[in-house]
Amino acid sequence: MNRHTILKAANALLLAGVLSVTWFAGRAFHRMHVNDPIYPAPGLTEKILLSRYHSALRSGPADTEIYLFSGKEKGGRLLVLGGTHPNEPAGFLAAVLMVENLQVEKGDVWIIPRANRSGFTHNDPQEASPQRFVLTTAKGDRSFRFGSRLTNPVHQWPDPILHINPAGQVLSGSDSRNLNRAYPGKKEGVLTERTAFAIMELIRTEGIDLALDLHEAAPEYPVINAMVFHENSAELAAVALMDLQLQNMDFRLEESPPSLRGLSHREWGDHSEAASILLESANVSHGRLKGKTSASLIVEGRDKNYVRAAARGLLFVPFDEAGIPLKERVARHLAAVRSLTAGLGDMHPDREIILHRFPSPELVREKGAEACLAPPNQR
Amino acid sequence: MKKYLILCLLLSPVVFSSLLGTAEDVRFDQPALITSAGQAAEVHLANVLFKRAGLTATLNKTAEAADLEGHKTLILVLGVSLKGLGAAGIDAGHEKKRVESLLLAADEQSIPILCLHLGGEARRGDLSDQMIKTCLPHAAAVLVVKDGNKDGLFTAICRNHNIPLIEVEKTVYALEPLKNYFRQDRRP
Repeated sequence: MNRHTILKAANALLLAGVLSVTWFAGRAFHRMHVNDPIYPAPGLTEKILLSRYHSALRSGPADTEIYLFSGKEKGGRLLVLGGTHPNEPAGFLAAVLMVENLQVEKGDVWIIPRANRSGFTHNDPQEASPQRFVLTTAKGDRSFRFGSRLTNPVHQWPDPILHINPAGQVLSGSDSRNLNRAYPGKKEGVLTERTAFAIMELIRTEGIDLALDLHEAAPEYPVINAMVFHENSAELAAVALMDLQLQNMDFRLEESPPSLRGLSHREWGDHSEAASILLESANVSHGRLKGKTSASLIVEGRDKNYVRAAARGLLFVPFDEAGIPLKERVARHLAAVRSLTAGLGDMHPDREIILHRFPSPELVREKGAEACLAPPNQR
Repeated sequence: MKKYLILCLLLSPVVFSSLLGTAEDVRFDQPALITSAGQAAEVHLANVLFKRAGLTATLNKTAEAADLEGHKTLILVLGVSLKGLGAAGIDAGHEKKRVESLLLAADEQSIPILCLHLGGEARRGDLSDQMIKTCLPHAAAVLVVKDGNKDGLFTAICRNHNIPLIEVEKTVYALEPLKNYFRQDRRP
């Protein structure tokens, strides 16, 4: 075999290698744009798309599912958002657990697990985040996307150098893709602003009484394990916090500053009648002190750097070798949703919402979200 | 939720304890003015506790000396929150001045001060500690959620100034001690 033939064979092999890598990478990329299945409980009344509230979103990357559960009796109206930031999986998963278990006896509950659907289709650059994390149910694995805080630039591009959000606040350019800086939204704005506008329209059109936005943040962030409330819901937040204390769930209360514009807890309350509350749990995979960002870090929430940081008093939550696992974070969100809903009914009997088969925070805390997830491949 | 609150009412007498001074001898009169010392959101917890205790109180997060008029007790809810300061549109320096003028006015008008620290360990830190050290010596009594006093800061100040201190395990258990602290409102 001469040298020329060897070179041709090497080139062919190289080309085949490049093509196969491209094929696998392309397939992985394509899969990021496919929604992970959610299996609604039999109590589901209707599955709606967000474009019902703003037709400009129809069939686009932000046209996300809304799951409506209506009771036999009229009562209060609750909206729960998960996935505003798709790299904050506790909020997303708490919403999924509600969709997969809930039955509503009285009142109406709207749940949006993937509020920023586009953000689930990519990762934050330079963070080396895993694309997925897996939870093992009794009947098999459920795999979930770990997305980005922001709308995918494939869907909204380019970012301005500075961004003035719909509420008039000047932000960094990339925040033009941050759903929780885009309220009350803009009907003709960029994709993220149109998404925020549609959610705002849902709140106004459906006469939502209580709107909850589920989030996570780094343990070194001061507003953590917190309930951030609009001033229209101060008493409700205080009542719910005391109820949560009796369940051994300690939260801190934070009032929404009127000068911090564009966030759900501020604009929902300013632009509708809804009591507006944002919930934060502590997620080490968000932090700047973390080690390798892995699926295990997301699920187990253990990191030795954070143990050291806690020992030096640098964190705003207790943190030890046990970490803060996903099951604890999801349980906190579920418990808060339950207490706030109950508090709403206590304070305003005409807005009572009676929930059956609510995913038990106690069970999730003990056995993990897996204990309340539907088995995979359900039709 | 109601059953939890009833349970807490039943349990609260056994979970709080008077640590210093003679809490039994301290009694306050209604109506009370509830204000924040640091703009932490626990001021809303205090407001809910007062409502649930059936006590007459006015909530004014940024009360000034003039707002004391018509009130017989000043309730200071201690704890600095940067978010809360932002919500009130003031900075830490402005808040300190406001609280100091309120303390001075209450002392001059012989209006007793009840200090509450309801945020636990999460509501401690340099700014909060400065506020606590400023306010506590003026208090007629202090009520604190236990893990906010892990390092004994409240105990030390109260001991030095002979101020009765009550610790409760959780905010919700503050309801019964608050009721006991206040004389019945006998107004028609």
